Parts: sequence; C-alpha cells; structure tokens
Amino acid sequence: MEWLTPLMGLYAAAVALPLLLLLYFLKLKRQEVVVSSTLLWKRAVQDLQVNAPFQRLRRNLLLLLQLLALAAVLIALAGPVLAWKGGPGQRYVVLIDRSASMNATDIAPSRLGAAKEQAKAFVASLRSGSALSLREGSDLAMVIAFDEHAKVMCSFTSDRRQLLAALDAIEPGDDQSRLAEAVTVARAFAQSPGVEGNIRSAEEPARLVLFSDGRIQDPETVVVAADEIVFHRIGAAQDNVAITAMNARRSYEQPEQVEIFAALANYGAEPVTRDVHLAVDSNVCAVRSVTVPACTPDANNVSFKPGQTAVSFSLTHGRAGVLEVRQLGSDPLPGDDAAWSILAPPKRLSVLLVTKGNPVLESALAACPLARLDPCSPAGFEALDPAVFAVQQRYDVVVLDNHVPARLPPCRYLVFGAPPNGIDVNSPRELENQVIVDWRAQHPVLQYVNLTNLFAAKSRRLELPRDAEVLAEFNESPALALLRRQGNTYLLAGFDVLQSNWPFEPGFILFCYNALSFLGAQVGTGGRHDLAVGEPITLENVPAETVLTLVRPDASREELSPGPGGSVRFPGTQRVGVYAVQMPQQPQRWYAVNLLDADESRIEPRDEIQFSSVTVAAEDRVLQRANVPLWPVLVLAALVLVCLEWLAYNLRVRI
Amino acid sequence: MTTTKPTARKLTDLLDPQFMARLDALDVLSRKILLGKMQGERRSKRRGQSVEFADHRAYVAGDDLRFVDWNIYGRLDQLFLKLFLEEQDLTVHVLADMSASMGIGQPSKDLFVKRLTAALGYISLVNNNRLTVTLFADGVRTRLANVRGRSYLPQMAEMLLTTECDGLSDFEKTCQDVTAARIGSGVTIVISDFLFKQGYESALRRLLGGRYDLYVIQVLSPQEIAPELAGDLKLLDTEDADMAEITVSTALLKYYQRNLAAYCNELSEFCTQRGAVYVRANSADSIESLVLNYLRRVQLLR
Repeated sequence: MEWLTPLMGLYAAAVALPLLLLLYFLKLKRQEVVVSSTLLWKRAVQDLQVNAPFQRLRRNLLLLLQLLALAAVLIALAGPVLAWKGGPGQRYVVLIDRSASMNATDIAPSRLGAAKEQAKAFVASLRSGSALSLREGSDLAMVIAFDEHAKVMCSFTSDRRQLLAALDAIEPGDDQSRLAEAVTVARAFAQSPGVEGNIRSAEEPARLVLFSDGRIQDPETVVVAADEIVFHRIGAAQDNVAITAMNARRSYEQPEQVEIFAALANYGAEPVTRDVHLAVDSNVCAVRSVTVPACTPDANNVSFKPGQTAVSFSLTHGRAGVLEVRQLGSDPLPGDDAAWSILAPPKRLSVLLVTKGNPVLESALAACPLARLDPCSPAGFEALDPAVFAVQQRYDVVVLDNHVPARLPPCRYLVFGAPPNGIDVNSPRELENQVIVDWRAQHPVLQYVNLTNLFAAKSRRLELPRDAEVLAEFNESPALALLRRQGNTYLLAGFDVLQSNWPFEPGFILFCYNALSFLGAQVGTGGRHDLAVGEPITLENVPAETVLTLVRPDASREELSPGPGGSVRFPGTQRVGVYAVQMPQQPQRWYAVNLLDADESRIEPRDEIQFSSVTVAAEDRVLQRANVPLWPVLVLAALVLVCLEWLAYNLRVRI
Repeated sequence: MTTTKPTARKLTDLLDPQFMARLDALDVLSRKILLGKMQGERRSKRRGQSVEFADHRAYVAGDDLRFVDWNIYGRLDQLFLKLFLEEQDLTVHVLADMSASMGIGQPSKDLFVKRLTAALGYISLVNNNRLTVTLFADGVRTRLANVRGRSYLPQMAEMLLTTECDGLSDFEKTCQDVTAARIGSGVTIVISDFLFKQGYESALRRLLGGRYDLYVIQVLSPQEIAPELAGDLKLLDTEDADMAEITVSTALLKYYQRNLAAYCNELSEFCTQRGAVYVRANSADSIESLVLNYLRRVQLLR
C-alpha cells in the first residue's frame, strides 16, 4: 500500500482525534425542567439502566464506532492506494506519436487523444514514493512527443501532476513519424542524471512505452532490445482516401492558363467513388467525380499498394490565387483530404544589365521573353541608391558583366567575371585556358545546356564558401556556382563571356534563359510557397522593425519580426492548410502546407513494428490502472460505521 | 344559622354556590362509629342534645345559643358554651399537603387540594361535625382545630386561601403532631401527592391508630400521570433541589409509567390492607364529580 498524502492524514488525525475524545468527555447541555419530585424519575432511570444489558459496554461501543468511522475518514484523507506491482522503482519513457496519421478519428476523440488517455492511465499507475511508502523507490517517467522530430515534454520525474500536464500539452501535428530521434533523445536523458539526481539514473536502461498506430517511417533504423520497448497500438480503421500529390503550373505559351494535377489514393479494401472539387480562393470552380480502385492488400507489409487515380483540372486564372483540391467524402483522417497550391501571378521579368558594352550578352538577354531589359553603365549602377532600389523593386534580376560594385542592393544577381565583394567568395588570381570537366545537367539552370565544348581563355579562380552550390567546374576552378547571401541569390560565372567560346554555343542562350527564369522564380516570393509539413516559411529582405502577422489555417495569429539580415523564418508549420503572412503596405502572401505523404495517409494500425533487430508486437491487453485508490472504500466504511452508531444509539434509547 | 351569607361570599373563591348547595345535602360518614356505636346515638346528635358534659369553651358568633351556659353567664358575665362529649359526635380531620411539590402541575395540585379541603370542610361544618383542618409541609403549618358550625367557614376559607405551597414535606413529623393532638373519633382524610422521599408508611401507620377511619386521597397532576417531556433534560426537584439527568425516550417513559403505577398500587395496597380507603385523583378532574360521586361511592360521604 502507498500513501499519496500521508502528512495531510496525520495533521487531520492530530486535530480530529483529541477533539472527538474531548467531545466525548463533554457533558450534554441539558434543559432544566422543574418537577414536583424526582423520586419516580430516578427510579425509572435506574430501572432503565438496570434493565438495559451491556449498558457500559454500549456506551463504549458508541465511542468505538465513532473512533472507527473517524479513523476511516482520516485514512482516506491520507490517500492510500493499493499498488499491485512489486519490486524497486523503474524508469519509463512515454513516447507519444503525434504524426498526421494519429489525427485519425476512427476512435474517439482521435488516435492522439486516445493515446494521451492511455498514457495518462499508465502514468497514474506509476508508483509514487513517499515517506510512509513501504518500498524505498518510486517510478520515474518522462514524456516525449514525436513526429518528424522529437519534443521532450517533460524530463524524468515522479511527479504525476507534471507528467499529466506534459501529456495534456501535446498538440497534434501533420508531420511524418520518425522514431529514431525520439529514441536517441530518450536514451540521452536516461543516461544523464535526472532531475531527481537519482543514483539509479545511469544504472539500468529506461523502458520505452510507445503509444502509436505503428505507422512509423523509420523502424529499421531504430535499435532496441526486445524487452526495452512496449508498444501500445492505437487505432482501428484502415479505410482512408487521401490526396497524395498536387501540382499547379501555368502554361508557358499562355500564362493565364493553369493546369492542376492531383493524385488520389484509396487505402480501403473497396473501390470508392468520391467527388473532388477545385476551389480558387475558396470559390469552388469545378467538381469531378472520381472512382479510386481498392488497395492491393498484402500479407507481410511489403507489397502494399493503395488504389490510385489521377485527376486534372484546367483553369483560366490571370491573377494570383490559392488553389484547393479537396475530396468531399468523409474518412477518419481529414488532414489528407485536401491539398493546396499557391498560384503566382503570370509575370515577365525586368532585368538590369550592368555592362561597359557587351553586345553578345545584350542580344542573348534580349532573346529571352522579358518585360524590360535596361542596359546600364557601371557608373550609373553605382549612382543608384540601394535603399530606393530595394523599395522600388523595379528589377527582378541584375546582370553584372565584369563589374565589381561597391554596394549590393538586395536583388538577384547573374555575375559574369570577377565575383562581387562581401559574399565570401575570393578570386585571388586569373587562370588561363580552362575547359569544362563536369556540370550538373539536372539543375534547372543547366537544363538542356550542353557545356562540353566550353572553353575559357581567361577565367577567375573562384574560392567558394562551403554552402555554395557548384553547377559546373573547369579543370582548376568552379566555373558556375550558386550562392545565397543575406537574402540575395548570386549565380556566378567566373569568366568573361567574351573571353570564352560560349557565345558561339547554342547553350549560352539557353543558359541565359534558364538563369533568368531560375532567378526570376524567386522574385518577390522570398522562397517557395508550396511547403511540406514542418518546412519553415522563410521571407527574405524584410525591412528591419517590420512586424509581420502570420495567420495559421485555424485563423490564429502570430506576430513575427525579422532577424538580422532581414530574413524571417517561421518553423511552426505543423498543421496542413494555407498560411498567410501579412506585411504592412504589401500584399498578403500565401503559403500552402500539404501533407501529400502516401505513408502517413495509410492509417491502418500495425500489429507489430519491425525494428532493426527485433519485432515488437502490440500489447494485447488494454492498459489497466495498477493503482487502486482506497479512499472510496474507506469513506463507504465510515458511512456504514456512522449508520451503525446511529442504530446502536437508537437501540439504547429504545430498550 | 344566620351567618351563611358572609361564609358563602368568602368561600366562593374556592367553591361555586351551586356546588355548595349540592354539598348541603351530604354528610361525612364514619364506618368506625357506625360499626362500633349504636345507630340511635348517631341520630340523637342530630337533635343537638346530649347528656355527657365534656368541656366549656368561649362563645363565638354563630354558636347555637341553646348551648350557652347561662349559669356561668350569670356568675361571670361571659358567654361560654357547654360542650358535650358525644359518642356520635364525628371528628373530621383533614390533612392537606401544602409542600412545594403541590404547587407543580397544570392545573396545579394545590388548588385542587384546597378546593377539596374546602368542600370536605364545608360538609363537616354544615353538618356540625367537629372539624380540624391541618395544612402541612415539613410539619404542621397552619391548623384550624376542633371547630364546629358554619360560622367557621370564613376562617377556614381564609386559612386555605392565604396559605401558599412552600417548603419540604415531612409527613412523618406532621402525623406525629397530628396524632398527638387528635381527640375523639371520626374520619381522617389525608390529601397529598404522597411523593415523599422518606416514605409514607410509618406516618400512615400512626394515623391508622385510634378510632379514626383513614381516607387517603392521592392527587397527581396530569403531567405526573403522563409526562410530556422530550429530549435531554435535567429534572430539578422543586423541594430539595435534587437533580436527575434523563434522556427522554420511549423506554424511559415506559419505565416511568410502570414505576408510577407500582407506586400508586403500593400505596393503595398499603391502605386496603389496613382498612384505609385509597382514592387517586387527577388535578385536572372536577372536584364536583370527585366529591359527589366518587367519595360517596367509597362511603366517605353520604
């Protein structure tokens, strides 16, 4: 037996017991009545006492019953619990899966809710140590919530209230579930001395108690012993229809024409027919009825394939907008029923060419579909006020031809020749007769560009920082590199075009086109707008002391302010939906966060998890409370005793 | 014979005139005299004559002038009455308890006792019996001794009306005093609640002696017969301030009733075994029915 609040019981006993005895010694305040003679009354009382058997005993019986009733209440106050488990105290790590699939509502209120309830029952069953405990040890536990990343909600403690609060604080997410990080964190905590500085901390491994549906992406990377982890399976259903892919793009020839593509997956054993709608800025434009075939079942979790089908929409939309594709049927997991995409407005680029005169480059750029191409002398460029340049945003891309500017206004740069200063790139010397040895043909900048024949008579040697992306290499130096610094993007070519044979190659035109498209794709956006869950929203070149307001899909708001360098980073995209960023005096920016994960959409709970070394089966039995609180029984006993006392008192009076 | 009016005026505080009119027809009956003496002699008293001289006493207004000793008047110029000792002459001795305990009850026992005493005294005086009324508590408190004739009615009423219930009761001492002063033969009527802590037996034994019939009238208040008490009480004895702590319960009340019945039965048996008559009265009952019916039935009156 354990005591939850032994001191409280002791204090109450110290007050109540002497009080009861004192009350018993106090005489009853009797009302005085004058009678002619007490003769007969005394005889009657005498008779009553003589004739009532066990008179003295009965009086004591009353006291005894009162004492017993009081004792029962006092013991109840001390909060005894009956702990069925024996042995010394153990340490547990409660791992709660809060990935997207745990939001399935096949069990009320949701899988995560059920997991939290089961975890709470588990926490309640932990043994707590106390001064009056019969054993010296109490159980310690910590709580880790994990999806893609692990989050420690509460480190090792025996304080149940703290543990329960930590469990309550777990919020659902829409990310994938990866266990490896959580296990690593748990072991790290288990090996360091805990909050309670217990000697046991490092002695024995903590036991992992996993509450999950078993849909974990990386079980094979987790190494656990068979008796180290207990898996409590949460979830029942497998039927789910999800949107697993979505893409929207404007037609090249007709920028107002938008093609939208989406893929639907069915994880149920029966084919389903669902209506899929397309909405632009929350206005439904089109509805398609789609039949998704049944999944291909498997026996050993190897060849499972959901039934898949694709749906495409075509739309004429000349403005920016938020596209939503949603399947209208109901299923347990609402997070994957919709996908969003942010449609940028059709735009042609404005380019500033800073050159002393380069007809080759000029004509190559002029061949690209640009809104504007403004040539400018180096002196003219230096005369521009960088602040005004940043605010006006007249140019999307600046092409620097053999010019090293003193200042770099925020923009995207295509640099030929010597690299600008202040971007961590050194060019100590010139090289001669460089030929291309390798290039990244898959990169968008080099798409369809053949560099095999490129030869540079003179080139700068580029010494790049580690985060620079090398796109092409000469035999002695990088030839093309991509670099991001302070919100600016630089595409560096370390040679003068006129010092190479590139203008005679068809690839040069393609390169210019690709480079401008690539750099122009980042115009005004400060980054990508279609994000996966957990990917941060980043904005660049935000003026200092601007306060941004981020509106989450659930309409809650958060204020953001830019860090040094003018970049804003919001990592909290844990839920799917459309996030909006509002900036003063600028149009609202939209970000779509999508699940689009075929593995997370598969919600069928696993009966066993195959870790790298062992296979852990789900616990069959429902978690039971091992601690039985005794206070209700004691209070009931006190009630019965009081009733008995009343009965005894009345019997005494009646006889 | 002419003094009825002032008598009635005073006595009406205790007895109402119609009741008194009915009492006129009654007389006190002594079994001892009837059994022991000649019947004819009892009747002769009615004629107011006798032969056996006993004593003289001073004349008071209302005395029969026929018994004035004119010889002495001639010699001393003072009026004296000749008293004749008559076998038929009935002495009625009323002992009324006026201890503090009689003041308790609703209606109170003392008023009942006073009215009963007044009624019995009235009957005795009207019928020219020798009447002694003794009011007692812890001894004789007041006494109207050996009076005869209607003329003593106001005196008796005065005495009854002015005496309040007070003090302890000492029945034994009272009886000692009473028997010492008692002369002649007749009827002794004791009116009390008989709730004497020191007992009543030896005292009653004293009264039983001699040529006297003993009538014991026990007066209890309704509260004593059926107490209406509840709760945890401290009972205070009005006389000796003795205390009894009780918790009233059905069981206790049952025991009280049993004890009361046993007590009354003991008294009754004590009386019956010794030739005395026991009468129990409730202070809530009417005096009229007690006197006119019950006391006639037990042959105290006729």
